[in-house]
Amino acid sequence: MADTAVLPAHRAGRETALRPRRRRRGRLTPLLYVLPALVFYAAFVIVPWLHSLWISLWEWNGIGVATWAGLANYIEVFADPALRSSLLHAFGFIVFYSVLPIGIGLVLAALVAATPWKAMPLIRTILFLPQVLPLVAVGVIWKWIYSADGPLGLDSSWLGDFTLAYPAVGLVGTWVSTGLCFLLLLSGIGKIEPSLYEAAKVEGCGPIREFWHVTVPGLRKEIAVAATVTVIAALASFDVVYVMTGGGPGYTTMVPGVQIYQLVFTAGRVGTACALATVLSLLTCAVMYGLNRLTRER
Amino acid sequence: MAGSTPTISKENFFRIHFAAIRRADATGLPPYRKTLMKIHKMLTIAAVATLTASCAPGSTSAPAAQPSGPVQTGAPAEKVTLSLVSTPESGAAIKAIITAFQAKHPNITINYTDTNYDDYNKSLNLSLTSDQAPDIALLNSVGTTVKDGLVRNLAAYEKAYGWDKAYPSTQLAQWRVAADGSTLGSGDLYAAPAGFSIVGVYYNKAKAAKLGITAPPATPADFEAALAKAKAAGELPLQLGNAQGHASFTVQLIGQSQDGAENAAKWTFGQKGASFDTAGNRSGAQKLLDWAQKGYLPKDANGVDLQGAATKFIKGEGVFFIDGNWDAAKIGDGLKAEAGFFAFPGAKATAIGTSVAYAISAKSKSPDAAAAFLDFLHSPEASAEEFKAGFMPADPAAAKPETGTVMADIAAAWTKVNTDDGLVGFNNNATATMNDKLTAATQELIGGKNDPAGFITAIQDEWAKTHG
Repeated sequence: MADTAVLPAHRAGRETALRPRRRRRGRLTPLLYVLPALVFYAAFVIVPWLHSLWISLWEWNGIGVATWAGLANYIEVFADPALRSSLLHAFGFIVFYSVLPIGIGLVLAALVAATPWKAMPLIRTILFLPQVLPLVAVGVIWKWIYSADGPLGLDSSWLGDFTLAYPAVGLVGTWVSTGLCFLLLLSGIGKIEPSLYEAAKVEGCGPIREFWHVTVPGLRKEIAVAATVTVIAALASFDVVYVMTGGGPGYTTMVPGVQIYQLVFTAGRVGTACALATVLSLLTCAVMYGLNRLTRER
Repeated sequence: MAGSTPTISKENFFRIHFAAIRRADATGLPPYRKTLMKIHKMLTIAAVATLTASCAPGSTSAPAAQPSGPVQTGAPAEKVTLSLVSTPESGAAIKAIITAFQAKHPNITINYTDTNYDDYNKSLNLSLTSDQAPDIALLNSVGTTVKDGLVRNLAAYEKAYGWDKAYPSTQLAQWRVAADGSTLGSGDLYAAPAGFSIVGVYYNKAKAAKLGITAPPATPADFEAALAKAKAAGELPLQLGNAQGHASFTVQLIGQSQDGAENAAKWTFGQKGASFDTAGNRSGAQKLLDWAQKGYLPKDANGVDLQGAATKFIKGEGVFFIDGNWDAAKIGDGLKAEAGFFAFPGAKATAIGTSVAYAISAKSKSPDAAAAFLDFLHSPEASAEEFKAGFMPADPAAAKPETGTVMADIAAAWTKVNTDDGLVGFNNNATATMNDKLTAATQELIGGKNDPAGFITAIQDEWAKTHG
C-alpha cells in the first residue's frame, strides 16, 4: 500500500478503492479451488490424525474413563520388544514390497520394451491381476498355497515355520506389487527419447549397459512413484499378515498394522495403539521425505 | 490440559480472537502487522484445535451407581418389547428359547439380532454405550463390561429368583465379579448362563481298537502310554492345530488334572496371589514340548488352525484330538460311530468349559421383563433347546442324546465333570490379551524357540499385567 502514496492523488483514490479488494480476491481464488478437497482432507485425515495423537497421551480402553499417561505410551512403543520388533518387520517388508518388485519390474519392462510381443495385453493383464484382487482374497489363496495340502506339495506349512513364515508372507507382497511396478515402468520406458538408445547403440553399448545407462536413469520419476506407493504399502501392511498368520508363529510376522488392531480390539489399550500408530505415521513420513530427496531431479 | 478448565469459555474465546482478526483485515494494517496477525491467526487456530480436543477421550466420569433395592420377579403384565443381541452360534438355541418364552408370555416381544462372533465381541461394548443399547446381550466373557458399568448388577434378581440354588456354584462363578470390576469367581452376579461348552478328548474308536485301546485312558499316564502306542504303530498320536493357539488346551488339561479344578480356577478368575507356576502347569508345558519332539503332534501344527485339524482328524489323521463340544456335529458326522469323547483323565474328572451367558444392559428400561427371560434360560424347555443346538445344559439331566453317538459320550463326560465339580474356565480368557499371548507362547514352545520355564514365566508375566 505504500506504493499507492506516490501516485497522483486522483488516481490514488481509485486505486486504493479497488486494489486491495482485487488483490485479496486474487489471493483467495486458488484457495477456493482447493477448498472442497481441503475440507475433506481436514475432516477425514488431519482431524482424525490429531485426535489419535491426542488419545495417544492417555491410558484408555476405548469406553471407560481415561487417565492421563503423558509420553508413557511412547516409551512403551520403544521399550516393549514385541512392539519394537513389529516396527522392524514392517521395514523389512520394504525389501519384499518395494526393492524386489521394482527390480523385477525394471527387468521385465526392459525386456518387453525391447521385443514387442503380440500377447502383450494378455501378459499385462496377468501381471496386473494381483493388484486388482482384494488383499484378503490374496491372503486366503496364498495361505492355502503354503499349506501342507497346497499345490506346492510342501511337507509342512511354511506359515507355521519360524524361519520361513516371514519371507513366505513377504513374497506375497512381491507378487502383489510386481505387476504395478512393471506397468508403471513400462509406460515410462515409452517416454524415453529413442535417440538416446540410438546414441547408445552408436557408442557400442550392449543391452546391459544400455539398461543401466539409458533405461534406469530415464525412469527416475517412475521409480520414485513406484517406490512411494509400495513403501507405504509395506509399512502399512495389515490384510495379508492378518489373514495368513495373524502375526505368528510366535511374533515372527507381527507388523504394526496387526499389532494396532489387536491393541485396540482385544487388549483395549487404545492409547498405546494410537502411540504406535503415530510413531508409524511419523516414520512413514520420514521415509517418504528421504525418498523424495533421493529421487528428486537435480 | 488434563482435566483443567479454561478460564474463559470456548465461545468467548472464539469471539474475542476472531473479532481481532477481522478488525486487522478490515483496517489495512502495515505489512509487518499483517505478518503478526497471520501468526496470531495460526496460533488461534491451534488454540481452537487444542480447546476442542481438551476433554479426555471416553466417558468423563466413573459409571453411576446402579439402582439397588427390591426388584419384581415374574414377567410384568403390561406390553413390553425387548431387544436381544447374540451371535449365530449361540443364537440358534436362543431363537427357539425366545419362541417358547413368548408363547408363555404373549405380552412380551423379544426382537433378536445377531452378528458374527468376531465382530460381535469387538463391537459389543460400543453398542452397549450407544443410545440404541439392547436390553439383553450375549456375553462371551466379562471383559470390561462390568468395570465400565455397561451391564446391570443382577444380585437382587439372583436372590429373588433363587438362581444360586438353581445352578451348581461352578456354573455361576464365571459370571461373578468382585468389586474391582475385573476379578472373577466371587462377588455379585452379572449374567445368567445359557448353555455350556466342554473341552475334552475326542478319539477315533476304530484306530484305538486296532491299537488295543478299548476304553478311554483312566489316568494321565495311561493317556501318554496310549500316545506312545499309537506312535509305535505308525499312527499320528494327537491331532493338533496351533495356528490360533489351541495347544493351550493341552497344557491346561494336563495342568488342572494335577493341580485340581479349584486351584486352577483361581488363576483363570484372576484372584490375588494365584500363579501359573504350578507343578501341573510345569508338567503340562514340558509334556507339550516332549510330545512335539517325540513326533506325537503333527509337524506343521503351528501352521494349521483348529478347523483344519478337525478336518484332518475326520479324515483319519490322528488317534486323539483335544477339542470342544462345538465341533461335535462335525466330528460325529465325519466319523459316525467311530467318534468317541472322554473328559481328560485324572484323580477327579476335569474339563475346560465356559458358558455363554446373557446380561441385562445398564441402559435397559425394562429390567424386570429381561430378568424374567434370564430366569427362563434354565427351564427344562430352554435346556432341551440348548442341548439340541450343541450346548451342554445347566442341568445334565436335560441332555438326552441318542445312544452310541459322540453326543452321548459328551453328555456322559459333562455329567462326570459336574459330579466332580471339575469345570474350569478357559485360561485364554484370564485377561483380555491372554489368548494372543498363549497363541504366541505355545507356538514358540512347540517350535523350540522357548523352554517350558520361559513359557511359564511369559504367561505369568502377562497375567500379572492385569491381576498382579
